Amino acid sequence: MTFDLTILAPHIPFLLKGAVLTAEACVLALVGSLCIGMIVAALVTSASPILSRIAYIYVDLFRNIPFIVQLFFFFYGLPEIGIYLDAFATGVIALSIAGGAFTSDVIRSGILSIDTGILEAAEVSGLSKPTIFRKIVMPIALRTSVRPLGSVFINLILTSSILSTITLNELTGSAKIVASDTFRPFEIYAVLLVAYASLTYLVSLAIGALHRYLNRDQSGVA
Amino acid sequence: MRYTSFTSYDIVLLAQGLGVSLALFLATTIIGLLLGSLWAVIRFYRVPVLTQIVTVFAELLKNSPVLVQLFLVFFGLPAFAKLNVTPVEAAVITLSGNTAAFVYVIAVSAIESIGRDQIEAARVFGLSRWQVLRHIIAPQAMAFAIGPLTGLLVNQLQVTSLISVIGVVDLTKIGNILNLRTLKPFVVWAMVGALYYVMAKLIAYGGATLEKRLRAHTAWKGL
Repeated sequence: MTFDLTILAPHIPFLLKGAVLTAEACVLALVGSLCIGMIVAALVTSASPILSRIAYIYVDLFRNIPFIVQLFFFFYGLPEIGIYLDAFATGVIALSIAGGAFTSDVIRSGILSIDTGILEAAEVSGLSKPTIFRKIVMPIALRTSVRPLGSVFINLILTSSILSTITLNELTGSAKIVASDTFRPFEIYAVLLVAYASLTYLVSLAIGALHRYLNRDQSGVA
Repeated sequence: MRYTSFTSYDIVLLAQGLGVSLALFLATTIIGLLLGSLWAVIRFYRVPVLTQIVTVFAELLKNSPVLVQLFLVFFGLPAFAKLNVTPVEAAVITLSGNTAAFVYVIAVSAIESIGRDQIEAARVFGLSRWQVLRHIIAPQAMAFAIGPLTGLLVNQLQVTSLISVIGVVDLTKIGNILNLRTLKPFVVWAMVGALYYVMAKLIAYGGATLEKRLRAHTAWKGL
């Protein structure tokens, strides 16, 4: 029963490299899932029943199937149809698609919370539909849903650890290597647990600050 | 000799994997519900040191990847405490703890959703703290919590797929085995995904039905 953290010191640069890879994957997946989420939210709330049906099926499927199954589907499936991507690209794509399903749900509720009076005023002012969507609907919807979007992002960071199962050596993957090098799995995984927890805590603090900044002119919103 | 095509035994394999996934899901859900409610009760009674420990522990469990928790229990515990942990034991410990952390949060907010005045009124009538919890808070908190709980359970079902990584032969592991043998990833993973999807939908449906029943007393019955 020894708990000796100094044993990890020589492996810190290696772990940091993994952390950088995790950060890259998360940021790319965040951008990807925001893009997908906005498009899908627009489809779900659109007037066309077919488009909103299709978008709903996408959200429903990717929210109810485990991420690891989706990941294997893409990782083993894509080469089958002649698309050869490395583990990093596959992981980012899978994360974006899965994250997009959750993001679109958040943005959708942001869109639905917009006062219809605002939209009518915009229509009366003679703005075209794409302009209303870009200049009025999206800014309001994104601003009100900063907090829920943040928890989707935090979930994305936690989910990115699953990318280690498709041979990608991000933070969890490199920790696995260090654990088998040093034979000290308890120390390394305990440190990893605390590292992830503090990272997501910092992210949630940043999101709270961003929320307050974006909604600073809103009265009654703390 | 390689069997690269699907055989009728694959259905048995899939059913077996499904059974393992479901059994582990049910077991960890029950343990998690009990443990999480217990933590919430500890907080309700404001037990001095325990409350802080529970809060920190739940925060740690909620904010770290389940995969890392699994590795910590499965690889870490044997090395640290010289305990022998089988994959299934590690899976049960981790998933129960994880479920408990989220149940704790839901239970705490459910308890807090009940108005102070109700509790004060009950105390004035001479009910003990336990009686208040049992007869005033619990029934209302249940109706409040069932919605978030259903969402949580749908999520936890998907989390069970991670235990395939430490070698539990659940549905995802079976998918892996079939995938390596038949080399038909699209068919295999679509099938596995469909099974998970159906299970998730069943849980959501069950939760909605239960919620309707628990909220029956507040439903609009007409004039």
